[in-house]
Amino acid sequence: MTMNKRKILVVDDDPIVLECCKRVLALEDYLVTCVSSADDAFDNLEMGYFDLMIMDVKMPEQDGFYLLRKVKEKWPMDHYLELPVLVMTGYPTQETLKELKKCGARFIIPKPFTPDELQKAVTTALKRSMSHGKKESVGD
Amino acid sequence: MPGDGTQIACMNVVMWRRTGGGVFYTTRSKLVSSFLMVALLVGVVSIYTGRQLLHSTVLRQTESRVSLDLNAANRIYQGQIDTIAAAINTAALHKEFSHLISRRERRKLGLMMRAVAQSNGLDFAGLASADGAIIVTQVRDAPVELSRTSTTNPLVQYVLAHRKGVAGTVVLDGSVLTPENQALAEQARPAFVPTAAATSRRGKEEPEVMAIGAASALFRGKELIGVIYGGQLLNGSVSFVDSVRDAVFQKDTHDGKSVGVTTIFLGDTRISSNALNPGGQRAVGTRVSDKVRNVVLVGGERWSDRAFVVNDWYLTAYEPITDIFGQRVGMLATALLEAKYRDVQQKALTPFMFVTIAGMLVAIAMGFLLSNKIMRPIRALIGASREVSRGNFAPEIGPASRDEIGVLQKTFTEMLSSLQERDERKAMESEIKLLQSEKQASVGRLAAGVAHEINNPLTGVLTFTHMLLRRTDLDEEMKGDLTIIAKATERVRTIVKGLLEFSRETVLAPEATDIDELVASAVKLVENSAFLKGVKLSFVPHRMLPLVKVDKSAMEGVLLNIIMNALDATPRCGSIMVNTGLSLRSIGKKGIEIRITDTGQGIAAENLKKIFEPFFTTKDVGQGTGLGLSVSLGIVERHDGSISVESTIGMGSTFTIWLPLGDDHE
Repeated sequence: MTMNKRKILVVDDDPIVLECCKRVLALEDYLVTCVSSADDAFDNLEMGYFDLMIMDVKMPEQDGFYLLRKVKEKWPMDHYLELPVLVMTGYPTQETLKELKKCGARFIIPKPFTPDELQKAVTTALKRSMSHGKKESVGD
Repeated sequence: MPGDGTQIACMNVVMWRRTGGGVFYTTRSKLVSSFLMVALLVGVVSIYTGRQLLHSTVLRQTESRVSLDLNAANRIYQGQIDTIAAAINTAALHKEFSHLISRRERRKLGLMMRAVAQSNGLDFAGLASADGAIIVTQVRDAPVELSRTSTTNPLVQYVLAHRKGVAGTVVLDGSVLTPENQALAEQARPAFVPTAAATSRRGKEEPEVMAIGAASALFRGKELIGVIYGGQLLNGSVSFVDSVRDAVFQKDTHDGKSVGVTTIFLGDTRISSNALNPGGQRAVGTRVSDKVRNVVLVGGERWSDRAFVVNDWYLTAYEPITDIFGQRVGMLATALLEAKYRDVQQKALTPFMFVTIAGMLVAIAMGFLLSNKIMRPIRALIGASREVSRGNFAPEIGPASRDEIGVLQKTFTEMLSSLQERDERKAMESEIKLLQSEKQASVGRLAAGVAHEINNPLTGVLTFTHMLLRRTDLDEEMKGDLTIIAKATERVRTIVKGLLEFSRETVLAPEATDIDELVASAVKLVENSAFLKGVKLSFVPHRMLPLVKVDKSAMEGVLLNIIMNALDATPRCGSIMVNTGLSLRSIGKKGIEIRITDTGQGIAAENLKKIFEPFFTTKDVGQGTGLGLSVSLGIVERHDGSISVESTIGMGSTFTIWLPLGDDHE
C-alpha cells in the first residue's frame, strides 16, 4: 500500500504550519515530508519523486520564488511539469499572484486555512495535474 | 588677443540694440510723437494755407496795383501830350505867324519857335509851309541849318492831309531828325541789349525814334499857310518815366532799387526806362519777351503777369501805344519788383514758423509730462508685479489714482489677495491630504505586517480547532466551546483579510465600462439582502452615459461596500435609491456620478469627517472592520475620482461617487 501513497513535500519556515499540514494530510493517507527551508526542499526533490509540493512564499534566507526558479532550472521541461506546486501565502497581492504563475506555481491557497480547505486544494491540485490539467488556481 | 576687441564691439552693438530699440516703443515716445505729429500737422497746414492765402492776396493786390499804376502812367503820358498840344495850339494862335510865314521871315520865326520850345521844354519845334517844306526848325535852343526843304515829319503830314491839328505819339525815322539835329539822332538811336527772356534779333539798326508831339494848322482866312509843330523825344529821355515813378511810386524802394519801374517801348525795345541793369545803368535798348510782344503789340491787348524784366522778376502790366495814325507802335509798361512782396510774405510767415516750432516744443514737453503722469502708477504696478513673481504678495503699488489706473490698482490688489487666499487654501488642502495619505500608508504597512505574522498562528488555531471538532468522542460542552473558538478565529480571519485588502496596493486594470451596467449588477447582488431586511432598493440608470475606464471588480467592490453600508444604516420599510448621471465637478472636468441615497439614520456631523479613516466604524463589534470606506475611497481616488457624503441625522445619507471622463470626452 505504501507504494500507492501520494508523496507530498511541504516547505515552510514556521513549524506550526508544517505541523498543521502534516496532521491534516496524514488523515488523507498521503506520505508527507516536511522541510523548513528552500534548500532542504531542493535536496529532497533531487533525491526522490514527489506528487505535489506545498510551499510558503515568504521564508528567511531563500524564499519560494528562489525555490521555484531553481526547480525550473534543474528540470526545464519534463520533471518540472509533472510536479504541481501549491503555494500558501498570507499576503496574496495581485503582483505576487502574477509572479507566482509566471514561475510555474499553478495552485494557490491563502493563509490561514481550515483543514477542509487544505484538503480540497490538495485534491484539486493532484487531480488537475494528473489529467494534465490547465493552469488554474485554487481558492482564489 | 585680436579677437577680444571684436567681441566687445559686438556686445556693445547688441546692448545698444536692446536698449535703443525699446526707446521707440515706450508710451512716452508714443505720446511725444503723437503730440509732435499734431503740432507739426497744424503748423504745416497753417503755414501752407497762410502762404497760399497771403500769396494770392498779395498777388491780387499787387496786380491791381500794377494795373492802377499803369493807368496812372497812361494818364501822365496823355497829360504830357496834352501839355504839348496846348503849347502848340497857343503858339498857333499868334497873329504874327501868318504874316511872317508869308514874308519868309526865317530869322524872326526862328526866334519865335525857340521861345515856344524853350518855354514848353520841347525837344524839337518847327514850322512847315503848306506844301510841306520846313521853313524853320530847331532842336532845344539851337536852330537847325536846313539842307532840304521837304519833311517826312508825320505830324506835319497829318495836319496837311487833314487840315486840322493833331497831338499824340509819333515814330520819326532818321530822315526826319537827322537834318534837325545830328546829336539828337545819335542819342535817340537805340542799341539792342540781349536779355534772358527776349529773343536776340538780328537786323538793320532801326533809325526810328519815338516822340510825343502836337501840330497845329496855321490859317490866313480859309487858306492853310503852314503847320506849327513841336514835341518831345522819348528815346533816352528820363523825364517822363522818372516823373511817373516820382508821382506813382514816390520813394518806395527795396534793396536800394525803386520798387516801381516805368518803361516805354518802341516796338518791343526799351527806349526809356527807369529799370536799372546790374551795372546801375538804365536798361535801355533791351527787348521785351516774345510772349508779351505777341499779346500786346500784335494782339493789342493789355498784359498783366509775372515777368522777367531785365534781370529781376516783376509783376508787370503792359499796354500798347498807338500813334496818331492808329498804329500800334510801342508799349507803356509799369512793373513792381516782386522781391518786395516776397519779402512781405516771408515776414508775414515768420510768426507762423515760430508758432509752429513753439507748438512742437510744447508738444514734446507735454508728452513728457503726461507720460510721466500716466506712467508713474503703471511703473509702480509693473514693479509690484515683479515683486509678486518673486513671492511677495504685499508689494508697494504706489499712491492710489482716481482714474482707470486706480481701477487697475484696485483690481490688482484684489487679485493679489485672492491669489494669496488660493495659495493658502491649496497649501492647507495638500497638507491635509498628505497627512491623510501618510496615515493611511503607515496604517497599511502596519496592517500588512500584522496580517502576515498573524496568518501562520491562525492557521494553527484553525487547523487544530477543526481537527478537534472532527473528533467523535467529545461531549457537548466541549464541542460548544470549540465551536466558539472556531467562530472567533473566523472573525479574526475576516479582520485580517480586510486589513490586507486595505493595505494592498493592487494594480488596477481599467477598461471602458458601462457604468449603468456595473451599478445594475452590484445592485442585483444586494437585492436579496435588501428584500430580506424589508428595504426597498431601486436603481434609476441615466442610460446615456459614455463609457468610463474603471477597474470593474474593484469598482464593483466599492459599490457593494457603499450599498451594503446603506442597507445596514436603513431600517425596515426604508428605501435605498441608486442613480447615475453626468456631472461637471469643476471647470473643464467632465465626469459621471453614482449617487446612493438612503433613508437611514444619517451620520452625525462629527463623524462625517472620520468615516473614510481606516478602522473607524459605528457598527457593533464584529459587524465591521472599519476599513470598507477607506478602501473604497482609496480605489476611487486611484481612478482620479472622489467620494462625497451629505447626511442629515434621522433623514438619511447620500454618497456620491464621482469619476472623471477620459480625455477623449473633453
